[in-house]
Formats: sequence, structure tokens, C-alpha cells
Amino acid sequence: MAAVDEAPTLFLRKATGLVKGWSKFDAFLYSFMSVNFVTLGLFFALSVLAFVPSGQVLPALLISGVFVTFLVITYAGLISVMPRAGGDYVWQSRVLGGGVAFVLAVTGWWFILWYWAPIYGNILNVEVFQPLAAIFELNGISDFLASNNGLFFVCAVTVVLAGYLVSLGMEGYAKVQKYCFYIGMIALALVFLVMLFGSKSGFQSAFNQEAANLFGGSGDVYSQTIELGRTNNAGPIVPELGFSPFFGETLLLVPFLCFWILWPNWGATLYGEVRGASDFRRVMGGMMWGLWVTVAVAAVFILLAAKFFGWEFFNAANLNYWAVVYGFGDASIPVWSYPPLLASFYFHNSLISALIILAFGAWFLGWAGTLFLSSTRVIFAAAFDRILPERVADVSERRHVPVWALVLMLVPAMIVSAFYAYTSTFKTWILDATLVIAVTFFGSAIAAIVLPWWKKRLYESSPMARYTVGGIPLISVAGFLTAAFLGFNLYHWFTNELYAINDPDSLVFMGSMYLLALVIYVVARVVRKNQGIDLKAIHQEIPVE
Amino acid sequence: MPSVKIFYVTDLHGSEICWKKFLNAGAFYKADVVILGGDVTGKAMVPIVQRANGTWEASLQDHRDILESEDAIVEFEKRVMNRGYYPIRVSDQEYVAMQEDEDLVDKRFKEVMLDGTERWIAMAEDKLAGTGIRVVACPANDDMFEIDDLLTGAQVVETGDEDHPIQLGEFTMVSMGWTNPTPWNTFREAEEPELAKRIDRALSAASDPESTIFNFHAPPYGSKLDNAPALNADLTYVSGGQAIRPVGSTSVHESIKRFQPLLSLHGHIHESKGATRIGKTLALNPGSSYEEGILQAAIVNIDEKKRKVKNYQLVNG
Repeated sequence: MAAVDEAPTLFLRKATGLVKGWSKFDAFLYSFMSVNFVTLGLFFALSVLAFVPSGQVLPALLISGVFVTFLVITYAGLISVMPRAGGDYVWQSRVLGGGVAFVLAVTGWWFILWYWAPIYGNILNVEVFQPLAAIFELNGISDFLASNNGLFFVCAVTVVLAGYLVSLGMEGYAKVQKYCFYIGMIALALVFLVMLFGSKSGFQSAFNQEAANLFGGSGDVYSQTIELGRTNNAGPIVPELGFSPFFGETLLLVPFLCFWILWPNWGATLYGEVRGASDFRRVMGGMMWGLWVTVAVAAVFILLAAKFFGWEFFNAANLNYWAVVYGFGDASIPVWSYPPLLASFYFHNSLISALIILAFGAWFLGWAGTLFLSSTRVIFAAAFDRILPERVADVSERRHVPVWALVLMLVPAMIVSAFYAYTSTFKTWILDATLVIAVTFFGSAIAAIVLPWWKKRLYESSPMARYTVGGIPLISVAGFLTAAFLGFNLYHWFTNELYAINDPDSLVFMGSMYLLALVIYVVARVVRKNQGIDLKAIHQEIPVE
Repeated sequence: MPSVKIFYVTDLHGSEICWKKFLNAGAFYKADVVILGGDVTGKAMVPIVQRANGTWEASLQDHRDILESEDAIVEFEKRVMNRGYYPIRVSDQEYVAMQEDEDLVDKRFKEVMLDGTERWIAMAEDKLAGTGIRVVACPANDDMFEIDDLLTGAQVVETGDEDHPIQLGEFTMVSMGWTNPTPWNTFREAEEPELAKRIDRALSAASDPESTIFNFHAPPYGSKLDNAPALNADLTYVSGGQAIRPVGSTSVHESIKRFQPLLSLHGHIHESKGATRIGKTLALNPGSSYEEGILQAAIVNIDEKKRKVKNYQLVNG
């Protein structure tokens, strides 16, 4: 019997769609795999710390985590106001209008993911293919993988793999992702244990020995790596690990970390019907755990890296890799100092090393499918809005594969991969991939800020209307802080040479993507008008009274 | 009339604000006919409980409200109805009794659904009588059978089912509110072979594919109009809702493929808004966001002379 002082609960009848939410663990898992510590984290964020020699990564990580928290609140809020609608395109189009939404979302979730294909491919190369070739001393393959042809091959493999994972459908891929999570976490735990219980001198000795065995190095390659790093950086690499300065130069590391840590909002976004604030908290909780567990894992890794590899060595080895990539210096070993590979040297056993690398490959596999999945959704949504031709949303009858949407991803991604592999400037341009998605997020943050006033009825009917800060809607406050944070990063990416993405060609190139989206939208408006369809009508609200 | 302009929505599930928008949509979009394809009634009742001390208390979206005046209660009831739920005023004792007795809940559900449907019909009469805009509302799997009589007896609101096609100018709209089985065991569900038979019976009223419109609540299987999150046996999402699978009807798919109607209108799967072609047939599911008060709809312009869909658009009104 219900206690009389309990809040009254509603009565439900048997009806379609009354589901009971999802497990908190599942919500966490998808967010955690998206803000992927091993792929983007190790390769694009923690490998570049030496570029800010007086910055401190731990406070930068903490600052980034705090501000990305507001991004999480903003997205959980948008999901709560417009559940099941899904994604930046729909949120922005309903609040800011179809034209703005199309340009921002199509650029950020379709065009720019062509450029993520080589980013994914490059990570597959440096984290799986090249380490395996090195471990087994397959010099011919190593040379091939380091060549332009090899890079194009790996990018092509990535594009085909991502396309295949999309064709599996989300149900199939969700299973793959879950297995990948478990395998990846076991591998990470093993490496952390090695780093925890192994000594720095032991690693130094193991590294020197394997550098000699695998790469023909001689003498104290460990020390040579540090010396090369100092030369490449024309000075000290980084200070000892600590918390000072907490701000200042440390803040310059934040835009680097955002190459990786900005994506916990790629998590579970579904609500069941007849739900309420608990679902907002559940969505937010999943993303929040995904973000903060990742931050914690990264912090542990950083501390262990300093203990086991030596902080100066870790950063020098990474810097040397980038020095070779960007042509301003040399490296002591011919592959990226991928931390799991370095840790595996401790075993002096090729098979164990290979198994560790393969197990860490699960982090890649569990992440690779995201490459085209979001794009497919945006392409479908734009086709349903009649901005793109109806045909692009076709699915094959037998296997329900989104054929044309995949073609629109795969073909440009292959072409882009070729440019990436065979031209040097393109490598710089594609770092804009992060920037452009951040611009799309910025659009959603603006939509969140104005939502309570521009879509009053929609907002007030949502559970979010209950959450305020000093009388101001929480979604607006979180949206404002998110926009400010994204603005900070965009300012630095646009203006600071440090991030290697502010050159004029890159900006023109990025601008051309927005122009392309705008041209498509304007052409669609004209063509559809001639067909008797008014695209402006899509989001016009029908009067109630 | 050179063309017929259809405004099609589905799965309003009791949302009062969506129904009001629906009744205004004909004039807003200059449509000849507005059609609610199925699932008229709501899924939940929200008790507003009068406590022993005389105060009224209720909970919506996990938020507990103390309602201190009649105005506050009315305002709360409005919010509840706009989300598609039925507010019910009950005493402490009634509330406790309903919690312990499913029959009491069923009885009350039946009352509020019938009252709600009657009220909606009256609103339609007020709004659309004499305007020349036709209004059609059909029952579907989530609607109890008792509302059929109310809809059939209405003056302005027309209704149709498998035995009662509706003539829209030169076109015949055949309706089918029954669906393939769902995990919720709702009112109008049938295994695929039986559903196929029902569809065949419905199609006996239609002879010419080019002048036939399907209003089949269940979307065709594997058409991307039927993608829903996979569920575990306990009705929780598989893989955090990321696992999407087709849940439409194979019989519906087969009937579209075989008969090739001019247009096939669907609903049922709220999150699977979309358009597709099955052979020559244009199939649409406008989806539903009834809880948010967004009226998702398909506007279809049909050329009567050429018997072709001139254009269509999915909108969020």
C-alpha cells in the first residue's frame, strides 16, 4: 500500500512505446567510447604537450573537464526538451531556423567527417599497423606503411571498415562496441599495472634493448630521445609534472585537449515516453560519467607515464614523432612512441607485445563506427526535410543499408584520403575537423541559450523548465558557459600558430565547406519552390487557438 | 478540383495542444483534408490527489506540485492534457484504492478516454463545421474499441477502418489500424498472417492502385519508416537505445509491393519519421513528438487528373 505522504505517481495503461529507459552503464559506455582516451586522447592530445613547454597538463585537464561538463549539461538539456528528435541539426533547425542549422550541421556532421577519415586512418596506422609491423620486424611493411601509398592504404581500410560497420546497423555495431569496451579496458588495466609496478630504470633498459632489436638503435637510445627532444624543441621539453602554473600558459594546452575531450555528448540520447526529470538526469549522468571517468583515466595515465617512462622522455618521444611529421627534426625510433607499445617492451616478447597492441586495437574498433553513423543521420534528416534529394535516404531492400548516404560519405572520404596521403599541406588542413565540429556545437550552445525565450512553449513543457540558476534557466546558463568555452578554443585555433590550423589556406578551405553547404541550401530552396514546396514551412508553428 | 492537399498526422496520443494545432492546420496550410491516421487516445492518467488536509497534490515529469488554488489546478490540468495525459481529481482514498485495484484503473481509463475523445470531437465540430475542410480521425492499435462508436457517430469528424474506406475526391483511402504484435500487447494487434487477411479484406474496396491511398498504422517492415530502439524482455533499451532495428509489418510491406497504391501513410513508430518509395508507391511516416506539443505532419499534394503525388513535405508545426 502506498504511503499517503509519497508524491502521487501516474497510472499507465498498456500502450506502445512505454519503455523503462536504459542501464546507466550502457549510457556511460557510449559516451566513454566516444571521448576515446586511447585513440584521440593519446595520439592527438597527450602527445603534443611539449608544444607548450611551460604548461601543466593536469590543471589543463581539470579545467577542460569542468567546462566540458557544461557542454554535457547543455546537450542533456536539449535532449530533454526535444527527446527522440536527435542531434544538432534538429535542435538548431527548430530554434535557429532551417538554413543556419543545415549549414552548421551538414558542414560539421557530414562534410567534415570526410576529413576525419584520414584522422581515423592515421590513428589505425600508428596504433595498430605500424606497431605490429615493428614488433615482428617486418621492415618492408613498415616502410610501406610509412610511405604515401601505405598511408592511403590504411585510410582506405578505415573508410571501408567504417562503411561496413554502418552497414551492420546500429544493433550489430552496439554489440561490437560493447565487446571492444571490455577488451580495451582489460588491455588498459594490464598496461597500467605494468606502469605501476615497473620501474623507470627497468623501462629505460627495456626500451634501449627493444630499440636496438627492432629499430637498429645503439647505445642509450632513451637518453638520445631526450636529447633529440631538447634539440627539436630548442629548449626544455616540459616542466616536472605538477600544478603550477594552474592558469597562464597552461590554458594553451586546453585547445589541444579539446581535440579529444570535446565528445562525451555522443552518448545515449533516447528517452522513453511518459518520462520526466529522472531521464534528464540519466542522460546527463551517462555523459558525465563518460567524461569524468575518461578524465580520471587520463590523470592516472599521466601520473604513471611520469613514473614509468619518465615525464621528460614521454614528452620528448612524442615531440620527436611530430618533428618528423612536420619536418622540423628527427626521432630516435621510426614509429610513434605509442604508450602501450612502449609498455609492452617490458615483456621482451613479440607475441605478448602483439597481443597488447591488438587488444588496444579494440579502442579503435569500438570508435571507428562513429565515423559515418552521425553523417548518415544528418543526411537522412536533410533528405526528409527535402533539402537533399529523396534518393539519398534510400536503404537497400535486402539488408537495409543506407546505400546513397554511404556513397556520399565513402567516395569523398576516399578522395580526401588520397589528398591526405599524397600532399603535405592537407595534413594541416584536416585538423580543422575538430574546429568545424566545435563550430556546430557552438551553434547548439546558442540554440540552448535562447531556447527558453524563443521556444517558450516547448521549453516550458519539458523537465528542463524546473532547473534554474538564480532564476535563469539552467540550459541557458550551461549553454552560455559552453559557448564561452568553445569561443575560447575557437579563438586560439583561429589565431594561434601553435595549433597548426590557422594558416590562410586552411581557413579558406574550411570556409569553402560552409559555402558549399550554403549553396546546396539556396539551390534546394529555389528548386523546391519551383516544385511547390516551401522549405521555410518545415518549422513554422501552427497556431493553437 | 485539380488537386487534393492532404495534411496527415499520426499518434497524437491525447495531446490536446497537438489536436488544437491539427484542427487549425487545414486553414494554416490550405489543406483540403486533415487526417489523424491512428492512435488518438492517451497513455497515462495523472492523479491530482486531495489530501486529508484539503490540499491538492500531483506529480508531473518527476516533479511534485502542491496546488493551492482552483486556478493552479486548472493550469496543471492544462499542462497534463497538452502532454497527452489525462488529469484525474481523486481523493486520498480513491488514489490508494486505484493503486491496489487494476480494474478501478481500467474503468477510469475508459471513462477519461471516452470523455477526451468526445471533447475532441466537439472541438472539431466548433472549429471546422462549415469550413469545407474535412477532418478524418481513425483508431489504431493503442485505441480501445469503444472510441470507434464515438468517431463513427460524429458529424464533422469522419472515420474509417478496414471495412469503411473513405472517399477523398477521386481517391479511396483504405485504413488499417491493426498492427503486427508489439511488446505491449495493445488493443488491435494480430500476427502477420491474420493481419495479411485483414489487409486483403480492406483492399476489396479498392480496385485501382492509382486512385488508392493506404492509411495503414503499421509501417512496412525494413522500410526505414519502422526503425525503433531494440528492447529487452523487461522493456528496457538494448545497448542504451543505440541498437536500432526494423519493427514494421511484413504484411504491410507485401501489400504495398503487390498493390502499389499511389500513396501509403503510416505512423506507429514515433521516432522513425521519413519517406521512402516501395516500387512506385510513396510511403510516409511523419513521426510523432506529441509529448513536446510538436505536431509532426506530412503535407501531400495530389494531382487528381494525373493521379500523381505532385509534391510532399514533412513539417513540424
